[in-house]
Amino acid sequence: MQSSMDVETVPSQLQNESGSLPPKPLFEPLKAHEMSDGRVQFRKVNVPPHRYSPLKKIWMEIYTPIYEQMKIDIRMNLKARRVELKTRADTPDISNLQKCADFVHAFMLGFDVIDAIALLRLDELYIESFEIKDVKTLRGEHLSRAIGRLSGKGGKTKFAIENATKTRIVIADSKIHILGSFANIKIARDSLCSLILGSPAGKVYSKLRAVTARLAERF
Amino acid sequence: MATKSEASLNLDLDLLHRLKSTEPPVWLAPRAELSETARKASKIIFSYLRTYAPKSPLDQLLIEGFDAEQIWQQIDLQSQPLLSSLKREVKKFEKKPEEIGKIREVLEGEKKVVESVGKVLEGERRVLAEESDDFDEDLDDGLDDDDEEEEEEEGSEGEEEKKGKGGAEGGIEDEFLKINELQEYLEEDEAREYGLKKDSNDSRKKGGRRVLDNEEDEDEDEEDEDEEELGVFGDSDDNEEEDEHRQKLENAGYEDFFGSKRKKAPKKNLKSIEELEEDSGLDDEEDEDEAVETKKNDNLSTHEKQSEQLRAEIEKMEKANLDPKTWTMQGEVTAAQRPKNSALEVDLDFQHNVRPAPVITEEFTASLEEMIKKRIIEGQFDDVEKAASLPSKAPRELKELDENKSKKGLAEVYEEEYVQKTNPAAAPLTFSDEQKKEASMLFKKLCLKLDALSHFHFTPKPVIEDMSIQANVPALAMEEIAPVAVSDAAMLAPEEVFAGRGDVKEEAELTKAERKRRRASKKRKFKAEATKRMTAKKARDNTLLNDNDGKEE
Repeated sequence: MQSSMDVETVPSQLQNESGSLPPKPLFEPLKAHEMSDGRVQFRKVNVPPHRYSPLKKIWMEIYTPIYEQMKIDIRMNLKARRVELKTRADTPDISNLQKCADFVHAFMLGFDVIDAIALLRLDELYIESFEIKDVKTLRGEHLSRAIGRLSGKGGKTKFAIENATKTRIVIADSKIHILGSFANIKIARDSLCSLILGSPAGKVYSKLRAVTARLAERF
Repeated sequence: MATKSEASLNLDLDLLHRLKSTEPPVWLAPRAELSETARKASKIIFSYLRTYAPKSPLDQLLIEGFDAEQIWQQIDLQSQPLLSSLKREVKKFEKKPEEIGKIREVLEGEKKVVESVGKVLEGERRVLAEESDDFDEDLDDGLDDDDEEEEEEEGSEGEEEKKGKGGAEGGIEDEFLKINELQEYLEEDEAREYGLKKDSNDSRKKGGRRVLDNEEDEDEDEEDEDEEELGVFGDSDDNEEEDEHRQKLENAGYEDFFGSKRKKAPKKNLKSIEELEEDSGLDDEEDEDEAVETKKNDNLSTHEKQSEQLRAEIEKMEKANLDPKTWTMQGEVTAAQRPKNSALEVDLDFQHNVRPAPVITEEFTASLEEMIKKRIIEGQFDDVEKAASLPSKAPRELKELDENKSKKGLAEVYEEEYVQKTNPAAAPLTFSDEQKKEASMLFKKLCLKLDALSHFHFTPKPVIEDMSIQANVPALAMEEIAPVAVSDAAMLAPEEVFAGRGDVKEEAELTKAERKRRRASKKRKFKAEATKRMTAKKARDNTLLNDNDGKEE
């Protein structure tokens, strides 16, 4: 339909060169379901086995905001162990689907729902994931010690970094996931990398303080 | 006058005879009559001489009640000017011997007297000569005793001569003494002296009396008897010379006065006289030029004398100018350019750049100690205090790293940040603000408690109705705050302390039936709870299954 419309307009323009131009057509923005020719879009998020029972507990908290506010259909495929998301007719924005998919994915990675909800509400939040071996090849006990350094006693180092940089960090064995805005992710990543490489926590703290102070001053 | 004098002379002679006749040993012990005669004799002689010494202050020799010393002094008073006049006379005679011829005639009249007197005196002199032989080696100047004795004798001799001259005294110039002649004489003498001086200069340079006297002795030895020693030399004579001289005077002959054959003699005499004269008073002028020496006359006018002095000064100064300056006048002088240790002799003036060391006196130390004590009492120690650096700006709030898990979700964190950025007033309290609030609350509570403890008449603050307050505390505890240590336990009623039903029994007190009853009740409770849980679980499983079924469809 659209293409046919375009074709029609062009000859009419050529015909009316001498006369006044016809009024420009006004097009409403496309709705989500119209974008892909009225077809429904899907997203599928795998559920890792260690997140299965937490998902079961928290399901309603995930379901409610997605279904109510984002207007995306969500269902859990138990056999395939997947979360599936689908646009509805009244989905306001095409990006909602992606946001919801990211939200669920964040939960699957290990983030809390309250932290992952921020993905739904803010646009500029991203998740960065990297492995310890990307930073430095560590084996056996060294690896364990590195993980221990990252977390700190009772997780205090991790929390300190989280609080200072306004990010959320998930350390899953060798994988590290950081959720936050772009600049904050960078700061957190630098701190974590320095910890992996071996600097003591105190040093990391002092650097953190300086950097965050500078960041705060900027705004 | 003459007869009177003759008569007195005779008296004198008698007295003198008497004096002479006494044996020498008698003189050793003091005797009144001897002294009396001696005094009288000296008085008479004094009166004689009075005529020739008009200027003497005493008319006659006072002997009553005067001791020997005083009498000698009186004689001295008269004889001193007398001697000088005699000297002059004799010098004049030397110059003009023809004058003596005139005197001779006068003298002849009294020659006999003179001879007689001379003989008497000669005897005495011989005695004296023996004594004076002891002093031959003595070269000192004033031997007062001898001089006095000699003066007395000389006085008598002079008297004779003066009588011969006709008593011409008074007035500086007379036929015998003319200043012009004196001047010429001096000039001649100096020329001679200068000529002779060259020969004897080296030996004389020392200017010592000894040398001079040796020379004189030599001269004397050369012309022993023929020397004509002029006059009387009060200070610097050899006694031997003097004796000889006196003898010659007595036995004066033509040759002595007009020594044509031995013209050198007077010259040499003059030379020696000159030497002595110069030596006695003018040592300094020995080294001066001849020109200066020639002008040593007394006949120069005052103006000429002054100009002479000036000239001498000028000469001296010119000479000083030509010479190289002394080192003190040379400006910058190093140690090598001045004689050794010469800086010590000169009074140098330089600035001491060193503050003089403080003199430590008792007062100084006392004052110091006073100050120290005062300072200690005051506590003012002059310690170096660190200057407090003024805060230029408000200290930055150090963000404390919170090491606890944040209670807010990430979304809320960003929400708050956004709100603060856009609408700071509406922003909820930050963590720091909450902390401040909490701190202020705590402090208020603390203050309240402290006031209660410290005041006798404590009135509690009015309780502000606050919604948050839900203290489950008996009302009494709220309102009543006892200032004395009274525990709260007593304030509570028993029911408030323990809330429960009556019969409370311990395990040991229970009967069997009661124990059974308790166990049965416990079981019932447990069972009820179990069933409750089971039903809840079942409900949950059912819902899940239902959902899944629904989805699959």
